Parts: sequence; structure tokens; C-alpha cells
Amino acid sequence: MTAICPIVSATIKEFIRRKDFYVFLILLCVLLAISSMQNFFHIENISRYVRDVGYSLTMFFSFFIAVTFSAGQLPREIENKTVYPLLAKPISRRMVLFSQFCASAAVSVMSFLLFFIAFMVFDIIKTGSLNPLLFVQAAIFGTLFLCMVCAFVIFLSTFMTVAANITISILTYLFITGFSDSLRDFSIYAKGPAAICSEIIYYLIPHFDFFNMRVRITHEWGALPFWVVASVGAYTFTYCFFLLYFAGVIFRRKKL
Amino acid sequence: MEHILSIKNLDYTYKTGREDVRALDALNLGICRGEIFGFIGPNGAGKTTTIKLILNILPIQSGKIEILGEDSSKPKTRIKVGYMPESAVYSQYLTPHELLYMYGRIFGIQRSLLKQRIPELLALVGLEKEASRLIGTFSKGMMQKVSFAQSLINEPSVLILDEPTSGLDPVLRKKMREIILSLRDAGKTIFFSSHELSEVELISDKIGVLNKGRLLATGPIKNFMGNKDDGLSLENYFLNLIEEK
Repeated sequence: MTAICPIVSATIKEFIRRKDFYVFLILLCVLLAISSMQNFFHIENISRYVRDVGYSLTMFFSFFIAVTFSAGQLPREIENKTVYPLLAKPISRRMVLFSQFCASAAVSVMSFLLFFIAFMVFDIIKTGSLNPLLFVQAAIFGTLFLCMVCAFVIFLSTFMTVAANITISILTYLFITGFSDSLRDFSIYAKGPAAICSEIIYYLIPHFDFFNMRVRITHEWGALPFWVVASVGAYTFTYCFFLLYFAGVIFRRKKL
Repeated sequence: MEHILSIKNLDYTYKTGREDVRALDALNLGICRGEIFGFIGPNGAGKTTTIKLILNILPIQSGKIEILGEDSSKPKTRIKVGYMPESAVYSQYLTPHELLYMYGRIFGIQRSLLKQRIPELLALVGLEKEASRLIGTFSKGMMQKVSFAQSLINEPSVLILDEPTSGLDPVLRKKMREIILSLRDAGKTIFFSSHELSEVELISDKIGVLNKGRLLATGPIKNFMGNKDDGLSLENYFLNLIEEK
């Protein structure tokens, strides 16, 4: 742990000094302000659409920061040769990788929470009400989602270039959020090898869709039972563990 | 004399897709306490591979490396080792003070001790006025100084320097030489690789000549240089040796 904290703290400092985060924060505030001021086609309950847009933007911007930041972590260290002085310290490769994950997750969650606070402020201004428990659960799910994204991207970064990693991560996210239900339906109705294959794929893919609270927030459905939150937490922990374990195995064998 | 750094029968082969490249072939070296060991050889001789193996950046395929009597592959062995890589580019968004602090904390050095040691190190390399400037604004020479300072953060007993003077102007080279010599006088063992034979001549106590992964010669520097009347320099010796083999 003594090695992880200084790396995470230096990475956060670095991130704060970069401009990426501020661009997204300003863009989010501008978009939320514009959508809050509009009354499209005089639709009733327009606040629902504002919530929908606000939540989606918050998640997308956080996801984008998580992917682009995590994808560059390890390749940048290798390209700049700073991985050598790091590995020359009393720290194992596995620990270097884990600290990169912790740093990426910390930076992504930090951005997400700030975006989320901005979204909540706009939501309160627009609707005058807020379900605190639901929003707390959405914040927890967002945090878990970003941890899983970071673990997934760090895993890919052990054997992919930055550009390929970002592309694959975004495509995977789009595929899973768009087609995971269809894949489930297909695996139920298919027969023979197709059913087995689709079943394996369904259970193997990282289910980013589990963390999506968009509909629940938009329509003000009640908070989720505790066991659902705990199950999603356990799922995230297990998935991150395996992704980081395999990333560690690959990174240990990687020629530097 | 006690060997602080000992390399025994070290082999290393890069396994590429088409053909294997033998980078080191039965390398044996012993470096004593308080010695400056210059490791020289042409490009691709295996100098950096040797350094990477010493630091366990590459896994040892065959042979043995011991630092201060301990197996080099254990992370705890590196507590007393400092390393300066060849032309590393450190994070442009951190200051030298923050970078040294991060490396110091990785070693588990206490905060209070780092607050005292970091300004001393920055003063040693002549960066005391730039302590709060972002590294992104630094020149290559200043970056080398940062790199050198980070290698000393843990007060190492063994210092491994990969091309420490590459890309430095003559003034900085002289300064770097002076620091290396003062570290030797303070009892540190220094292993450095270089292409700059004049540098090696000026500061090394012992040298090793590596070519195509094989150690061609090793011994005290004076054995490789004739007296001034011969006009035989280390460079002449080195070129003769490489061409012979």
C-alpha cells in the first residue's frame, strides 16, 4: 500500500493540472443550462427529459474520461521510459499495474462525482425535489461502473495500443449497453451450439448495463433494494479482480 | 574484496518471431564497494539488457545476479539501489519536488525525512530554484538532473546509471562527473554504462568491455591505457578490441 498511495496522489495532481476535465465540466454545465431553460414543444414534465439528458451526459463524460485516461496510463509510462525507474524501486509489476488502476479509478470517480453534483444542482433547480436515496445509489453505481471500466481498459492496455484500446472499449460499451438484452433473448431461444456460444458470451462480457440508472432516475422510480446494490458491488469486485489478475499475468511477461 | 554487485553466468536471449537474438552470453562481473565501474560497448552490445536484468525489469533466463548479497529478483533487494534510466521523460504536470516525493514515498521514506532530503538533492543537482516549476517546462539537461536526483532519493548503496551524461553540455557533464566522484568518495558503488569513452576514462576505477553480449575485457582502468607517450587512449584500445573480435 505504501507504493500505491504516492502514485495515486501524483496522478490526481497531474489530472487536476490537465485541461481535459475542465473542458468536460464546462461543457456539461452549458448543456445542462441550455436544456433546463428550454421547454420543448410545451411538453409536460419536461424535467424528466432534463434528467435523462443530464444523467446520460454525466455518465458519458465520466466514461470517456475513464477510458482515455486509463488507456494512456501504462503505454505512456513505457513510452516515456518512466516505467523503468518505477520498476527499479522495491515494487512488483503487479503492484505497478494495480496502482495504475487505483489512480485511473480515483481520477474517473472524482470527475464523475463532480459532474454528478453539477447534474444534481441543475436537477434541484429545475424540479425543486430530489430522492436522496436514489441519487446516492446512482452515485454508487456510477462509481462501480467506472471502476469496472478502468479495470477493463487497464487490462486491454497491457497488450493493445492506446488508439486500439479506446476504440475497442467504446465499441464494447456501445455493444453491451445496446445489445445485451437481445443477446440474452437470443441465448434463451437459440438451440445447439449457438445457444451455448451466446450463453458463454452473455456471462463473459462485462455488463456495463447493470449500472445504468437512467430510466429509474428519469421516471423517479423508487430506490433499489439493498441486496441489488450489494450484488452489483460483488459483481464489480469479482470482475475487476479477474481483469486485474489477468492484466498482471500479461504485464509480468511483457518485454519492456 | 566483497562484491556488492555480482553477476554469474548471465545469459539472455530475446525471443522474437523469426529468430532468437542472443543479447548476453555467459556474462560474469563482480563490482566491489566504493568502486566506479564503467560498462562500455557499441550499440546493441547488451549494456542496457544487463542493467534491466540487474533491476529485474527483464526476467533472468539463466545465471544469477546478487546485489548486496541478496537475489536481485526480490523487490526488497532494490531498497538500497538507485537507478537513472537513459533519457526518461518524467510527467510534465509534476514539479521535481513532487516527483521526488512520490519516489521517496514508494521507498517508504518518512514524510519528515523527505522534506529535508528533497531540497538537499535538488541543490546537489542545481535545481533548487526550479523545485516548484513544472517538469514540462524543463530542458533535456534539466530533465537529466531530475532523473539523477530521483536515483539518489533513497540514499542508495548501489547506483546504476544508464548513459548518465548523454545529451548534456560540457558544463553539465563536468558537474555530473563531480557529483559521481563525490558519491564514490562517500562510499557508494556506481555502475554506469556509457558510449562516451572520455567520460569513462575520467571517472572509472574499473571497466568492462562488452560486445555482442560477450565480455571482452574487464579490469582496472589503468590496465587499458598506456602512458601518455604511447598516445594510447581508451578509445584506441576499445576500437582495437572490438575490431579484433
